[in-house]
Amino acid sequence: MIDRPNASQLLQAMAETLSEHVVPSAQGSAKHAARVVANLCRILERELALGPETAEAAQQDLAELMSRDGTLGDLLADLDERLRTEQALQPSQEGGSQKTPEGITPCESRAHEILLADVRRRLAINKPGYDA
Amino acid sequence: MTRSERDKLTTSISRLLPDQPEVRVTGVASLGAQRQTLFLELSPRNRKTSPQRAVAQIASEIVQAGSVQIEGAILQAATIAGVPVPKVLAVDYAMRVIVSQHVDGETIPRKILRLVKANPELGSRLASDVGQAFAAIHGMPIGTLGGLEDYGDPQRYIAELEALTDDLSTPHPIFRLGLSWLKRHLPDPRPGGASESCLVHGDLRIGNFIASAEGLTAVLDWELAHLGDPMEDLAWICLRTWRFGHDDHEVGGFGNRRELRAAYEKAGGLWRQDAFDWWTVARTLWWGNGLARQVQVFLTGGSNSIVLAASGRRVAELEYDLLTLIDEKGDPPSPL
Repeated sequence: MIDRPNASQLLQAMAETLSEHVVPSAQGSAKHAARVVANLCRILERELALGPETAEAAQQDLAELMSRDGTLGDLLADLDERLRTEQALQPSQEGGSQKTPEGITPCESRAHEILLADVRRRLAINKPGYDA
Repeated sequence: MTRSERDKLTTSISRLLPDQPEVRVTGVASLGAQRQTLFLELSPRNRKTSPQRAVAQIASEIVQAGSVQIEGAILQAATIAGVPVPKVLAVDYAMRVIVSQHVDGETIPRKILRLVKANPELGSRLASDVGQAFAAIHGMPIGTLGGLEDYGDPQRYIAELEALTDDLSTPHPIFRLGLSWLKRHLPDPRPGGASESCLVHGDLRIGNFIASAEGLTAVLDWELAHLGDPMEDLAWICLRTWRFGHDDHEVGGFGNRRELRAAYEKAGGLWRQDAFDWWTVARTLWWGNGLARQVQVFLTGGSNSIVLAASGRRVAELEYDLLTLIDEKGDPPSPL
């Protein structure tokens, strides 16, 4: 047996119920909370559809950058640590008047590309159109 | 707050006020974990004058009593400097309460933006009023305001942001890229060096001021006030996150930067573009961090607020803003 409505259909109905029936009659902080929950239902509905491919793309990009395999969580922690250590090795500026924008490392440059692509995919779930 | 707690509070508030009026609570607004706002009606015992509306801000236990004292002092100083603020009626440090006069107008962003949409001139007026208010705040004498931290040195601010990022329970490599950019693009030192540090409001943006049809009527929420670089305030109010989707108006979704800057300069403020750009990146990173910290409070059981939980799904917006701001391949921010 396959139960219906499925998760996506239920989330859509939950969002509509909150927006159309609860938000208009609620007051103050309850109204705000109902609006927030309706929005979260829509986020989850999109995550059901896009979540797996979003995580997989990020995992693949990061594995390539870090030249090793691992879970997305591990790879992100590794990259975070690598960027932190690289920065600690950079000589700090004196006096604050020199500007050296070219001081960006190749790892940072590639990380920027990968993370921007990842954040765009996450926005498609959390806030579609924000990166338009 | 229970009924008996509320009765005890209204009795205590009455004792703080001249002639000890009858105090009635007409509404409650909870604005985060830091503080609670009570809307009050004060009725004189002699019934000769009509009731007066007032607001009591009560800081929670997690806020140090000392910071309530500082905020009270700042509000008094701001009044003298001509910054529109609610008139303070009473401050009690032990109760962590500040009672002030009610100011007419709107604070809720979507309502203000609706007013502006119906009356576009109001948006320009607000941007100018805010610019003027910032100049007045930044010109306030700071000698009497002891106990405020000074974040005016960019290196110190970077160190603070780095500590906050290290402290997050999940890795945020995008914040690391932001930190790297901040280190490589330090603004020119202020003309007078660190001695130029002024009072910075720290959180003046749509939602933290009162607006009426005539413009800005009160600057609220001074609890993040500190000493520092004035451009920090001007950058903060222009962040995309405070525009609520109205990106055609860079200042809070209601005004444009040219109007803000013109009013700030006319009132004696000095606009430094490189510092504005630097603080835009710094405060975007700070707020992304802030949202990530709100999630931690939720995940570690510190609060079951759905609003805090939802903040986690807003981190991506700030990360996107940060990455586009620091994109070395993109066009540099256009000067005015």
